[in-house]
Amino acid sequence: MSRTKKSSKGREKVSASSVPAGVEAHNAGESAEAHQQQVAARIRAGLFAIFAAVSVSITSGSFGVDGNFAFWSDSIGGEQVFFSVPVALLWGIVSVGFIAITLLQLLRGAKFAWRASIGIIAPALVIALLARLLDGTTANLTVFFTSTLSFAIPVGIGALAGIISERSGILNIAVEGKLLSGAMVGSIASSITGVAIAGPVAGALIGALLSLFLAWLGIRYKVDQIIAGTVINIGALGITSFAYLRILQPYSEYNRPIGIETVDIPLLSHIPILGPIFFSLSPYFYASIGLILFFTYMIYRTRWGLRLRAAGEQPSAAGTVGIDVVRLRYRAMLIAGLLAGFAGSYIALSGTGGFGINTSAGKGFIALAAVIFGAWNPVYAFGAALIFGMTSAATTLLSGLGVSLPPQILLSMPYIVTIIVVAGLIGRVRAPASAGRPYDQG
Amino acid sequence: MKLELQGITKQFPGVLANDRISISVDKGQVLGLLGENGAGKTTLMNILSGLYRPDSGSIRIDGTERTFRDPAQAINAGIGMVHQHFMLVPVFDVTESVVLGSEPTKGPLGSFDRTTARAQVVELSKKHGLHVDPDAKIESLPVGVRQRVEILKALYRKSEILVLDEPSAVLTPQETEELFEIIRGLAKSGTAVIFITHKLNEVIAVADKITVLRRGAVAGETTPAAATAASLAEMMVGREVQLTVSRSKSKVLEPILEVNEMSVLNDAGAIAVDRATFEVRSGEILAIAGVQGNGQTELVEALTGLRPIDSGNVTLESKPFAAGSPREIASAGVAHIPEDRNRDGMVKGMTIAENYILNTYHLPQYSKRGLLDRKAISAATEKAVKDFDVRTPSIDTDIASLSGGNQQKVIVAREFSRNVRLVIAAQPTRGLDVGSIEYIHRRIVEQRDSGAAVLIVSTELDEVLALGDRVAVMYEGRIVGILDAKDATRERVGLLMGGIVA
Repeated sequence: MSRTKKSSKGREKVSASSVPAGVEAHNAGESAEAHQQQVAARIRAGLFAIFAAVSVSITSGSFGVDGNFAFWSDSIGGEQVFFSVPVALLWGIVSVGFIAITLLQLLRGAKFAWRASIGIIAPALVIALLARLLDGTTANLTVFFTSTLSFAIPVGIGALAGIISERSGILNIAVEGKLLSGAMVGSIASSITGVAIAGPVAGALIGALLSLFLAWLGIRYKVDQIIAGTVINIGALGITSFAYLRILQPYSEYNRPIGIETVDIPLLSHIPILGPIFFSLSPYFYASIGLILFFTYMIYRTRWGLRLRAAGEQPSAAGTVGIDVVRLRYRAMLIAGLLAGFAGSYIALSGTGGFGINTSAGKGFIALAAVIFGAWNPVYAFGAALIFGMTSAATTLLSGLGVSLPPQILLSMPYIVTIIVVAGLIGRVRAPASAGRPYDQG
Repeated sequence: MKLELQGITKQFPGVLANDRISISVDKGQVLGLLGENGAGKTTLMNILSGLYRPDSGSIRIDGTERTFRDPAQAINAGIGMVHQHFMLVPVFDVTESVVLGSEPTKGPLGSFDRTTARAQVVELSKKHGLHVDPDAKIESLPVGVRQRVEILKALYRKSEILVLDEPSAVLTPQETEELFEIIRGLAKSGTAVIFITHKLNEVIAVADKITVLRRGAVAGETTPAAATAASLAEMMVGREVQLTVSRSKSKVLEPILEVNEMSVLNDAGAIAVDRATFEVRSGEILAIAGVQGNGQTELVEALTGLRPIDSGNVTLESKPFAAGSPREIASAGVAHIPEDRNRDGMVKGMTIAENYILNTYHLPQYSKRGLLDRKAISAATEKAVKDFDVRTPSIDTDIASLSGGNQQKVIVAREFSRNVRLVIAAQPTRGLDVGSIEYIHRRIVEQRDSGAAVLIVSTELDEVLALGDRVAVMYEGRIVGILDAKDATRERVGLLMGGIVA
């Protein structure tokens, strides 16, 4: 360690700090990040500990109470299998789980895979909550799981659309508007043509059209992408509501789509209990799983994905090596629009009702929450969509059973967690650095 | 390959950025392209890299004329650019960054062939002696290494003409010397190199021939053997320039600013200034050197009341100072020339007069009962504009329409308009022309001679050595050494800037 020479006046102070050189040979930026991550890890551990404590206290208060469940054994509407589980057992499992992840979080610090752990424990927590709130009535879990999926499909695919556009550098607030438009246009197309496939195709096309419009505003005219997206959302709600009241209601033959039938997978769909849940589903479900896996591979493992991510992080880096960032962004938005519109058509075509006013009911915004919760990774985002779907299904189930406790508390849980995630308190989620910023090409 | 640019002209609204510029560089040759900010260097390079198209003139490679409609065509023609602001994706690793845009792929989906890419990067870095870890994330690398990645990017695309735009701006002197070695090695293996800079010593050190640009046109051509720093400066500015700041020996008196074990946090909450201890005395200039981003910004912000001090204490003329607001600190006699004049130094869209009274408007001389005294303000501004040689049509002109040098003069005039005990000047001459640099240096030395204490923060080693009576060096938030001017050689300061404490 050097000490500077005394100056001529002899009043020089010792210049350097007393820490040996090398010990602190860290990069200031890196240490800031590491510090933040450590703080976040501690906050996470604290939150998990609170959950653990609450779980233990619920466990101790639940002895002697049984939760009654049922499954459809072969097909929905057929024979039910009943069973009951002590509520204390379920909560005991949840408690042990939370204690375990609290300890792991404390031991492993920032390296702990907390997202995956939440993914494992969240379903157990929702089931345990359900059992606790059932209050003597019987819940059909087959219905619970299928309604979870029917919520998770549009949200998960909407999130995939959001991920692709934001990875390319365009903020996609307009997912909600595209879901709604996809639902209406899909329903009309299916009703008019009488061809089942026309619904999803037409839905995807209208989604693509809106998406390209958003891209055009954002890229060509550099309109603030949040404002442009909001305008599309409000516009879509207004136009579809107007069209519903003026056209679809008086001429209801335009809103009687050919429902997309569920497909039973041979043999597998006859597995007792599991069959009706996993192997007797809408083709939308199988397509969604395929799309999510396909695009996850594309984003992380292909040239297209590498360029997509470069454009969303640092477009000038992509532009100067000869990548046409503008064209890349338009294409990404086209794909995102097709996906969002496709997801929207599911809302109108999966059930029996066809299109209704605001039939998407905010699923496009929930998809954006799933994007953030899933850290811009399609698989994680779909996981988040499933968790959101479970709470939604539990809420529907409980209010259907007339349970006294307001189930909306349960419904709001995942969004509270999302807000905490967005605030960066429990872990850093890093959005694509240039999402929302227009790119000037020379 | 031989590259020739002939009669390149590019007109922007109101500015003739390039006026019939002709330059050429041969295989294995290093061309030093010298010019001040605004001389047209960057425009010329953007034309060469396909970002702009010239209004007239031609680009020839090995004698055949080429036109580039986009960067991809320039890259295919063998031109590789290393931009001043690195064009790298922070979250990518080195391999991904190097091959982006020309990735090896396999399979029907265009899967990224990482194994091949990595092997190519390793081979390339071995071949040219550019050592980098192919798996390191860009954001974890120091700037010197990031620059190597940029050079690898160009070499990966088989560039035979390599253009480096102000490559030494972010490097320590030692890193710059390493860069020169790399450039010499590349030239030896047949690459034509264009080295753009405004630093006179660097072109003399590394170039085989030198072309000087001034106001968008070629001002002269020469060779390092025939040129001196003074002759190059004259060519660059168009008149004789005094390269050294003339100043008398300092008459050091009592300490004005005493900083004791001061720590300051950055925006992310990490330590940016780590227990800094120093003092600045009346009648001396303490120059703080260091590569950008080593805590200098936070240090200055803390001392001017813009950022809280985390721990330690600071006194100004023996009075504690830590709790002061910027206004209190300013009225205690501190003049602040901020690092980023566009962000912190002036309000664009407001007039020169309004900017001139920005931190004195509340004083009785300019306002009474909440109303501004236009007459007094105009009179004071007229005088300041004359005294500081601000070239402007009127004091009611929008400050945004002035050149950088004149904007900075308005800021300096404002700060020196009060009774000054301490001057804190951060990067006072960044981006200015040589004439304005000269002028502002002279004004700062005047303040010192009239008894003020002066703290200058600069990343330009030349400026630090020219002005400092003492030189302190910051590295990773710490003051790693304070040297008297006579001991502050380029080598010693350079080593300290790299964190090497002898």
